[in-house]
Amino acid sequence: MPELRDVPDEPPPFLRTWRRVYGAVLVYLCLIIAAFYLFARAYR
Amino acid sequence: MRVVDWIVLVASLVSIIAYGLYRSRGSNTVDRYLLAGKSMPWYAMALSIMATQASAITFISTTGQSYADGMRFVQAYFGLPVAMVVICATVVPVFHHARVYTAYEYLEQRFDSKTRALASIIFLCQRGLSAGLTIYAPAIVLSLILGWPERLTTMVMGATVVTYTVIGGIKAVTWSDVQQMGIIFLGLLIALITVIVLLPSPVSFGDAVYLAGAAGRLNAVTTHFDWNDRFNIWSGLIGSTFLFLSYFGCDQSQVQRYLTGRSIAESRLSLLFNAVAKIPMQFFILFIGTMVFVFYLFVQPPVLFQHAELDRIRATGDFRPIDAQYQRAFEHRRQAALLLVESHHSQDRTAETRARADYRAAQGEIDEARTQASRLVERNGGEPGFSDINYIFLSFVTRYLPAGIVGLVIAVIFAATMSASSGEINSLATVTVVDLYRRYFRRQASDHHYLAASRWATLFWGAYAVAFAGWGKKLGSLIVAVNMVGSLFYGSLLGCFVVAFAFRRVGGTAVFIGMLAGEAAVFSAFEFTGMSYLWYNVLGCAVVIATALAVTAAGAARPATPPPQ
Repeated sequence: MPELRDVPDEPPPFLRTWRRVYGAVLVYLCLIIAAFYLFARAYR
Repeated sequence: MRVVDWIVLVASLVSIIAYGLYRSRGSNTVDRYLLAGKSMPWYAMALSIMATQASAITFISTTGQSYADGMRFVQAYFGLPVAMVVICATVVPVFHHARVYTAYEYLEQRFDSKTRALASIIFLCQRGLSAGLTIYAPAIVLSLILGWPERLTTMVMGATVVTYTVIGGIKAVTWSDVQQMGIIFLGLLIALITVIVLLPSPVSFGDAVYLAGAAGRLNAVTTHFDWNDRFNIWSGLIGSTFLFLSYFGCDQSQVQRYLTGRSIAESRLSLLFNAVAKIPMQFFILFIGTMVFVFYLFVQPPVLFQHAELDRIRATGDFRPIDAQYQRAFEHRRQAALLLVESHHSQDRTAETRARADYRAAQGEIDEARTQASRLVERNGGEPGFSDINYIFLSFVTRYLPAGIVGLVIAVIFAATMSASSGEINSLATVTVVDLYRRYFRRQASDHHYLAASRWATLFWGAYAVAFAGWGKKLGSLIVAVNMVGSLFYGSLLGCFVVAFAFRRVGGTAVFIGMLAGEAAVFSAFEFTGMSYLWYNVLGCAVVIATALAVTAAGAARPATPPPQ
């Protein structure tokens, strides 16, 4: 079985660092939960 | 199914399979067959990851889930973005730099061979069971439409999937997933538009949302805490984070997808795309189920959506009073729904409150009649815990969607199943060959030999999945069943990998004992408590870590080998 080649690591195509990209994803999660909560509350 | 539906169905399936096989040309070495020669772009991996997770079960069962229980199931996905961030930051670069074919190969580099073997076997047990469920779901479709026995349809579906997977390898799987996700999004959109168009004329889209909310079907976030409640924000944020950490970080069926990336950044982007897109997608699918619920407020649905069982209990004397109660309850609910819409429009708060209470009471009567009918099925030879949730959406599709669209939706369900099953079977074969066969039986064989072994292993796991598929109907909602089966095993796997990454001093023997203890704890919880399955992942992981640390502290484990850089 052939040995696999190593692959390069690169910066993200936006927000410059991966740390910022991860932060943006977590902020997005908070916003979407808040939106769902307000939606559920408005129609219960 | 009309002729045009058959044409759409056959044309869609043939084009998907042909396209996948066309893109898989050149998969004639093991690294190309199993990891696409590490050449895949991020968008192909992203859609393949999504397609592998969102199988036919997503269509069939999730819509039924929201019809019967509302949208709170979406909370089970709240942990996914958190898990994806953790995996991107830790697991992805480690696996790529370790140059492994499987996640479990890394465990031997970090711990020892027995830990790798145990993790591999746990994966094979768990994913083998899930692969059966994945094939079973579309078998329901064929049974419903063609009137074939589920067993026969399972065999036919399984044979198609196995043939396709054996020939194509992971490149065929991934590229066909890309095409399938396009069809899935299209099918979802058309299904939603159709159900809204089919609503009776006095009911607008806004009214439909209002009626769904008044019946408790828009409960997308529930904040009360209960260990035994499967879906609330707490089990979603904590329990499902552990579930998805395990699924995307330790389950070869997903790890293999992002290990095909041409760079670490491409692999990360594929996972982060899912972190962002998966929750809205799940919300959208659940919303279709709630709109089907509203549609059936005005068009009487059968008391049970599984026609074979319904026909069977119709012959019994006990069915007549249930049916009469159901007819009355439906008419009561229909009138109450119209009155509620009317009072809502007139903004008469007192009348609206009264109409809402009446509407909910009528819904309670419907639920009671359906429960009694289910009990009658059980008393007359049906499966214990009988549930028709998996038949709700399909029943709607086949009865009310226009010609051509039915064929498209059925094609989507078939295509999604083939994609998910082929990915699962492909990963099962990979672990069997790489972690067991090559490690313990034939260490130095030719590339051609391992390629042939991979194809034979694929054939074996396909047959195994088909054999297990019959168990699916005993598990109620399929989407819950798949996650539950996964949760029985994932906690221990996750605990093993957490120890590998976070506790450098812990050695192989300690984590091996920890995994056995973790499995024992999870199966005890499953057998003796009513704990929600999402918490099994937390429990299993915690027990593995605690036990491994305790064994290490007690000096029973030998010192760990430093992890490879």
